[in-house]
Amino acid sequence: MVENKTFTRGKFVGARVPRVEDDRFLTGSARFIADVKVAGMKHVAFVRSPYAHARVVSVDVSQALALAGVAAVVTGEDLADVGRLVDAMQIEGLSKTPQPVLAVDRVRFVGEAVAAVVAEDRYVAEDAADLVVVEYEPLGAVTDAVAGMAADAPVLFEELGTNVLYRRSRAHGDTDSAFAAADRVFEGRFHTNRFMAAPMETRGAIATFETGPDRLHIQTSSQTPHLLRMALAGVLGMPEQRIRVSTPAVGGGFGQKIATSPEEVVVAALARRLGCPVKWVEDRRENLIAGSHAKEQIISLELAVTGEGRILGMRAQLIGDGGGYSFNTSSILVEPQVAAQSMPGVYDIANYDYEVIGVVTNKTPVASFRGIGWTAGHSARELLFDEVARDLGLDPAEFRRLNMIAPGSFPHRTCTDMLYDSGSYTESLADALEMVDYRALRERQRELRAQGRYIGIGISPYNELTGFGTDSASQAGFPFPSHDNAMVTVEPTGKVTVAVGFHSHGQGHETTFAQVAADGLGVAIEDVAVVFGDTSTSPFGMGTYASRSAIIGGGTVSLAAARVREKVLAAAGRLLEVSPEDLEIVDGRVSVAGDPDAGVSFAEVAGAAYFDPRVRGEGEDVYLSATMFYDPPATYSNGTIIAVVEVDPETTEITIERIVASEDCGTVINPMIVEGQVHGAIAQGIGGALLEHLAYDEQGQPLATTYMDYLIPTTMEVPRIDVNHLESPSPFSIGGIKGIGEGGLISAPAAVTCAVLDALAPWEPRLRTLPVTPDRIAEICRQE
Amino acid sequence: MTSSKELVEVVMTVNQTEVTRTVEPRLTLADFIRDELDLTGTKLGCEHGVCGACTVLLEGEPVRSCCTLAVQAAGGTVQTVEELCRLPRGARLRESFKKHHALQCGFCTPGFLVTSYELLEDRDELTVEEARRELSGNICRCTGYQGIVAAVVEASGAD
Ligand code: FES
Ligand code: FES
Repeated sequence: MVENKTFTRGKFVGARVPRVEDDRFLTGSARFIADVKVAGMKHVAFVRSPYAHARVVSVDVSQALALAGVAAVVTGEDLADVGRLVDAMQIEGLSKTPQPVLAVDRVRFVGEAVAAVVAEDRYVAEDAADLVVVEYEPLGAVTDAVAGMAADAPVLFEELGTNVLYRRSRAHGDTDSAFAAADRVFEGRFHTNRFMAAPMETRGAIATFETGPDRLHIQTSSQTPHLLRMALAGVLGMPEQRIRVSTPAVGGGFGQKIATSPEEVVVAALARRLGCPVKWVEDRRENLIAGSHAKEQIISLELAVTGEGRILGMRAQLIGDGGGYSFNTSSILVEPQVAAQSMPGVYDIANYDYEVIGVVTNKTPVASFRGIGWTAGHSARELLFDEVARDLGLDPAEFRRLNMIAPGSFPHRTCTDMLYDSGSYTESLADALEMVDYRALRERQRELRAQGRYIGIGISPYNELTGFGTDSASQAGFPFPSHDNAMVTVEPTGKVTVAVGFHSHGQGHETTFAQVAADGLGVAIEDVAVVFGDTSTSPFGMGTYASRSAIIGGGTVSLAAARVREKVLAAAGRLLEVSPEDLEIVDGRVSVAGDPDAGVSFAEVAGAAYFDPRVRGEGEDVYLSATMFYDPPATYSNGTIIAVVEVDPETTEITIERIVASEDCGTVINPMIVEGQVHGAIAQGIGGALLEHLAYDEQGQPLATTYMDYLIPTTMEVPRIDVNHLESPSPFSIGGIKGIGEGGLISAPAAVTCAVLDALAPWEPRLRTLPVTPDRIAEICRQE
Repeated sequence: MTSSKELVEVVMTVNQTEVTRTVEPRLTLADFIRDELDLTGTKLGCEHGVCGACTVLLEGEPVRSCCTLAVQAAGGTVQTVEELCRLPRGARLRESFKKHHALQCGFCTPGFLVTSYELLEDRDELTVEEARRELSGNICRCTGYQGIVAAVVEASGAD
């Protein structure tokens, strides 16, 4: 149990506080990376490989260099002084594939950068990029992870001699006995779709270099400024305190802007080399082929079940298709490793064996995307569960309830050694069923079926590992120690600055952290400003990903605010000549408890603390500032999403009628922001179920290279989404907070897919390759 | 190999100010507005006409400025989010967007504001279905649209 004295719930925490940052975006005055100009800057365009796998025989830049307005053209060889990108994971048995920031000798996916052009504007830079002549010798391409494992498959990294970079099995419990004792065994092999974060703002960076002593300032669209600074220091060979990473407004990330991108390094290296600021902003095609992809896995599952529907054991083999390089956050492992660890989900499964295999293929590298690993694993498991329930003649909700971790059994340690702190699994299932009026809905389904109309219900209960710190990382199978900081300062005028290492790219941190600080200090939210996204003004932090900001940020900010509050009370005590214990802070006034008139304002205390030597105690630090760190234990949020759809078997059209989400992220700081996270993640999940797929042909050519063929859901595909909040505060975290960013994308693809298949139940559908496209529905409905 | 650029003079009225620039004929209206005039409220999300982030009003009609050349808009009247948000209907939309949490990262927001500004021009009391249909040409990756739809419907009723 943690001390929760430090976390104060006052006027703001828990309230639907409107976001303090909104006006900036609503007036068009927010500055994103593409909006920033630096005096004297030039523009970069990349020359990208048209081949999935090829030897680079020669690169001729002469014509490009001769074009008016071109300042430089560089190839991989020119950047020999720049280190290769390599992941930081220390995982036994994991082979490394350091990635050159510009290809040298060989390209391994379509879109890999081979050269970079610097010119006076982007138009000229693109013209010149077209004039770079690269001679390639095409090699056989690996476009599927299973094919890539074959002995005679082309090998991407000859020095490794294999495309299989990781392979490891783990056994939990006594799975063989469980299978021997089962009445029925079910199995299925699922191939989940490759889809991507596709933030509305593509990636981009502007680098400025000053010499003597050297200083690099890179402004970039990043979720993790401090981590990027570390990475740049490594590959550029510069001390990190001479590098400043700052982010202007960032237009969404969803995981894609965590990893250091080769382009960011090239931009920094070019600024150093050329001595002028350089800017790169990618276009959508580049983002679709060279920004990271995600979520593709090939998952084989076996389930040992009793005749009544009790799960006795499970076996899984998870193959991750990592794409051309496994540098960033260990591309080949982020998906299958996390999926393997979290496969039991909200269910009480004691016997479970898994094998994780990571393979490189000639496709775009994979990296984090909201709900990493989980989405694919969860989808496979829930699809199989529906098959099992149908086969056993059980209601799918009942089958799930029967196997859920029971209320009252938290904390619960799973067989994979994840420690679920708290949760409301059966409650949230019941809540979501009630939200859709499940019985009546089943009745309606029967009636409509008789009329030749097919509605379906998809039920998808989930949990989500949140508060990604040292403990969470290790529970997910990624030993990645971390800690984060917040600095809270009362300025001489009594206004409050909160500086954090977390990053905000839509999550509303300027509001939530201000809510926490305002309540912690007893001041108005208007008097708090949150500073983030700049390594020169924020304390060290890991940035924003994996639903970590609310819990770790909320925790660090409340710890720092509590420390500063003590200092304020000490100073006010001297001013008022009373003991600090007798003082309280209400609405920015420090006064004797119960006597608000006999007090001083925050501004008066602050002024005195800074400028009046009489309030300083002997040897005391009177600076009204504190930097506190926090690295919480793992926490788990949970919820249930239910989708109701109608499918027209003639036209294959799918209409999502409605989606409900009963979610539980413990203490809610701002319900409005939580709902926004849930809505947004579910919308991405709808895309993942029905529309979004990064298909390749046999040669490894990407087939989705514009928003005409990579379809993002619009207002027409995303229906009304109702959200109910349950609140099981974590006993482990400060304030009982958990995270909420990923759940919607973990569980909505399964909810929607299961609903479609439920609608088509009369055809006894089997669907194991995602997404649910019209041709797959047509195929199902053709079967008699 | 070098090329000397062909240049043309373009005159247009942007946010009530007449501007004259000498530009390449291939310059898009979006880049003209953003780079030549430094009005960066207009965003580029796809540059091929699908996402709607670059929407501006040309002669009062919404156009995708990424797929319009500056020379095509020559002589015309352009309005961007910077002007529209200051007008009464824009201010109403702004308040409604805030109230309904209609934005997260805010990158798609100018496009949605310009589209809905024009949408509310001659309509009041939009239904949810109408709003969804009319807004379907703009992509938002963050919000799941619910807040946006609610905001536009509410702002339409205030007329
Ligand atoms: S940028 Fe013009 S429609 Fe996307
Ligand atoms: S608010 Fe981020 S894209 Fe719409």
